[in-house]
Amino acid sequence: MSQIQERYVLTSSQKMMVFILSMSLYGLSNMITELVPSAYLGPIEFSIEYFAFIPLTLCMLFHPLYAAVGAALGEVIFGEIMLGQFGGFGELEKFISFSLAMYIAGSLVKDPRNRKQVGIAAITGVIIHQFISMMVDIGKVWIGVEELEAVPGLAESIVVIEGFAFLNDVLFSGILFALLPTLYLVPRLYGKIEPLLGMKPRDNTMKFSTGEIVTPRLIVGGIVLALLSFFFEFLSETDFNVEWEADFGENFMWVSIGVSAVIAILTVILMVTRKGKNTKEGMDERKVQ
Amino acid sequence: MEYRQKLFDKLSVEQVKIELLNTAYGNDQTFLAKLDPRTLFIWYLFFGFAPWFIHNQAILLGMFAFVVVMMLIARSSPLIIFILCLGLLGQGGYLLLAAWFFGGDLSTIMPLLILTMKLSIISLASISVFTSMDPEKLSDGLLKVGVPGQVSFSISYAYRMLPSLIEEYHHVFLSFRLRGKAPEKHGILYWRSIAYFVKIAMLSFYPLMLSTSKRARTTVEALETKGSFFAFNNPKVKAIKLAHLTFRQRDYWFLTFSLLYVISLFIFGILYS
Amino acid sequence: MTTEQIKIEHVNFKYPGGEHPVLNDVNLTIQKGAFVAIIGGNGSGKSTLCKLINGLIPHYYVGDFTGSVTVNGLDTKESKVADLSHHVGYVYQDFDNQLVRARVLEDASFAPLNFGHADYKERGKRALELTGLTGHDEEFIWQLSGGQKHLLALAGAVSLDPDILIMDEPIAQLDPFHAKEIYDVLKMLNEQHGKTIIVIEHHTEFIADYCKEVVLMDQGNVIWKKPTADALRLVEQLMERQIFPPQVTQAAFKLDTFSNKSYPITLSEALGLFPNQVGEEVAAHGPTNNSERAGRQSIVEMEQVSFAYKTITRSKKTVLNGIDLTINQGDRIALVGNNGAGKSSLMRLITGLVKPAEGKVMVKGKNTRECSPEKMADFVTYIYQNPEEMFIEDSVRKDVSFFLKARKVPEYEKIVDRILEQFELTSLQERDSRLMSGGQQRRASLAIGVAMNPSIILLDEPTANLDIATRKHITRLIGTLKDNVEAVLVATHDMQLVAEWANRVIVLKDGHVLHDGTRESVFNNRELLDLAGLNPPQIMELSRGLNMSPVCYTVDDFVAAVNKQFGEENNDGIQTKII
Repeated sequence: MSQIQERYVLTSSQKMMVFILSMSLYGLSNMITELVPSAYLGPIEFSIEYFAFIPLTLCMLFHPLYAAVGAALGEVIFGEIMLGQFGGFGELEKFISFSLAMYIAGSLVKDPRNRKQVGIAAITGVIIHQFISMMVDIGKVWIGVEELEAVPGLAESIVVIEGFAFLNDVLFSGILFALLPTLYLVPRLYGKIEPLLGMKPRDNTMKFSTGEIVTPRLIVGGIVLALLSFFFEFLSETDFNVEWEADFGENFMWVSIGVSAVIAILTVILMVTRKGKNTKEGMDERKVQ
Repeated sequence: MEYRQKLFDKLSVEQVKIELLNTAYGNDQTFLAKLDPRTLFIWYLFFGFAPWFIHNQAILLGMFAFVVVMMLIARSSPLIIFILCLGLLGQGGYLLLAAWFFGGDLSTIMPLLILTMKLSIISLASISVFTSMDPEKLSDGLLKVGVPGQVSFSISYAYRMLPSLIEEYHHVFLSFRLRGKAPEKHGILYWRSIAYFVKIAMLSFYPLMLSTSKRARTTVEALETKGSFFAFNNPKVKAIKLAHLTFRQRDYWFLTFSLLYVISLFIFGILYS
Repeated sequence: MTTEQIKIEHVNFKYPGGEHPVLNDVNLTIQKGAFVAIIGGNGSGKSTLCKLINGLIPHYYVGDFTGSVTVNGLDTKESKVADLSHHVGYVYQDFDNQLVRARVLEDASFAPLNFGHADYKERGKRALELTGLTGHDEEFIWQLSGGQKHLLALAGAVSLDPDILIMDEPIAQLDPFHAKEIYDVLKMLNEQHGKTIIVIEHHTEFIADYCKEVVLMDQGNVIWKKPTADALRLVEQLMERQIFPPQVTQAAFKLDTFSNKSYPITLSEALGLFPNQVGEEVAAHGPTNNSERAGRQSIVEMEQVSFAYKTITRSKKTVLNGIDLTINQGDRIALVGNNGAGKSSLMRLITGLVKPAEGKVMVKGKNTRECSPEKMADFVTYIYQNPEEMFIEDSVRKDVSFFLKARKVPEYEKIVDRILEQFELTSLQERDSRLMSGGQQRRASLAIGVAMNPSIILLDEPTANLDIATRKHITRLIGTLKDNVEAVLVATHDMQLVAEWANRVIVLKDGHVLHDGTRESVFNNRELLDLAGLNPPQIMELSRGLNMSPVCYTVDDFVAAVNKQFGEENNDGIQTKII
């Protein structure tokens, strides 16, 4: 129960508001994206995979944990259970990877008015989510196929297909449905949406209890390390001949991550400089950084 | 244009209500639907997970046969099954093509077939289990196995709010459409029109974020006065709410039968290989 | 001891981040079993006062709070909101968001379940029974009508069997029939179950009929608490604060011939007090059609139109059947009829958003079946009942410009300036429309509609959900629309709006046009009014009850008519009769 003294800390009801808000909105968007068909150009899929900007925006404006968990649950409920396609364990995996990625993205932003931070956080969120999904998908085949290394071409092909899908999702969905709309929405909503929930807008001085113990960098680092270790652990255990294949796989991944990062950074720089030209405020903000 | 119109028909509130009602009241008369959710969870725990680690073809075939029978009992919608098959075949096909490109040969087909079979077992298991549970049963079941009360609350809340949300979204979207101007030229492959509609589909969320915030505030105030925060994870409330969940004879029969089947399958499978 | 159930002493309250205190040294006591109406202008602190009683203040809204509130002997500062909810039930103005479960019984029994009552279902059922909602137990909430949802919100509040029930503007969103239904339930709870009822209410006619006491608030202060009759007779004090007493009271006030004590507050009182014009026959039916209408250019033509939609049970429900209708230039049409009569469907057919099942709808010579809604938007503008659904930009100005800008209209900024001026929005143009008051939002939605420069504007319940003063303001602005467009069609339950504004009234019932004619032809036809479930303004009922001819549409008409009669008759006769 809320106490009269804790004035500027989120009360349990405020957390619930953020949770409900995020769940309803992202759930709704999920139902809509489910209804919109996708277009294929050969193996490249042009589909609205998800409106990631909704949870990203909310995670940046409010407490990232509740917004992230709300959105992930919204996807499971609206997009799966209500359409009669709940998939058991598969949902669990989506839930964890999505909420984790959104939470990290939200925590990366210390000041929602800073467009550079917002942009970097948005694209990072998508990269983390797609990266985890890719690893899980590759992992599934690894576990599912007995003696994968004995089957010629299969290991490479799975890495290539998943790597390609990763690149495609980050570049297409990541920029169109996460980066650009988030950059548009966060500054518009900042300071306007919070009072509707009876809260103060986030600012530089605000900290989150979890944020105090574990910094975002720590989490990102930890996750990446954990996944990589899982990956290599698995390779060694299956007596996989790592030399060429791992090189290939790794390089490919780093290439794709690199490319998407460069494009994302370019967009961010473009946005920031354009804003800098328009207003002095933009300049001041960057100087402060 | 025609296609777009169809899409909007699909998005109409009445249509969504109809769809929701159908999934909610779907098929609660089947044998599986009468089982306790926990029974189904236990069953799924094995059939949804174990196949990953089983490489014995005979056992997998036996399991496949079992889940196909289950699916028939559950009377799952043919559409869902069709989509599932298409997805599995597509994925397998792509993998096969790519594998050949990387120097695979005919021997690649067998492992891929087995992989596809595993995926089928897992998917069919989840389809037959989860189409046999209406959302209320699922949420009760989840609550019973220790998932936080907020989740089961959210499921019910989603059913409550979805029609209102869709309606509001639809109206905002229409406002954009009627006041804006669609591109005059469609562009190659309609890309201009598609881009225009996708853009307003996203922009429509700005107004919705603000109005949903207002909603959320009243809702949470009401939750507070209705004592929900105190009840979400209160064991006593949970016990009262879930008092109707009981293991019956048919639950025991079903689990015993499944266990016997799996055991004999394993014995047979190991002997056979 | 039991009599003083709610005691508010020296309470000051300021919302977090707010600049001014919302409550200013408030003192109020309410007795057990009272039926109290709280009145006051916007921002006078009515809702805040009510949230004191159920403990949301100071527990949920953590602002600056001093003073003490005691409810049933409990100090709200020391008690939890959850505990207080056993004593106080609260129904919000936006009650829709208060319903949180999927199904009816589930929602009604939600609170008893949360508090661990093993008989939660029985409690929920009893609450549903009390509010007259039996038989809907397993339905989804979205299957209910607006009125039923409101009753369900009330059932949720009653489910814990609290002694006190608070309803914030119980009838703002309802048509007259359902409004009466809600108040009858409240009355029953008050009289038969001894519940204390507190309502925040703008409709003084309902206060006069149902409430026993009235509390007047102004700028965070409780000005007074008086028995209803005494309170409503303080016409000057009320009017000063933009609160309008019942029309019969206003009429008596303006006539100068009554002493303060004898102002009537209900229709039946008034009928006994004003002079009856025995002998004069009321023209039973006025002209059904304006002959002048012929020859004017037609804008919309409907021929044998029927419309149906698929219901949840997958059967087709016919909403409109065999509609023949022509809308001409200069028409100011009021579309009236009960909920479900087909008003909204008729309007949506004109917008081209839905197509008729049979027959054809022609707008400006174009068949809607062959035109996209975007194309139709050049001729027809539809203004939603909820103005928020019209707001797609982040400021009023941008919203008003949107249409013109998208079409690259030259010098559109000037047009926008003019429209903002017309709807008194110039000073608000940079605000986000969603964060404005109800009346301001409504004005913005009208401005957006006018900026689209249509031939015909369709308004869906433009005065619903507004207090009476704002309602009058909007009615006046709707009156100015005729300068912008060729025809206006308004679907409404607000008979005052119909009486003051329309030059043609179309009565719908069960998907048929029951009547189409002048307002006189509608309001003089008792049978028709009853059949269509219409509730004319009180002053009109009064003048008809007094056999005045023609009937009066406004209080001023009535006063003028009676004064004229005074002039004709012997002065003494009447005055002595009244006093």
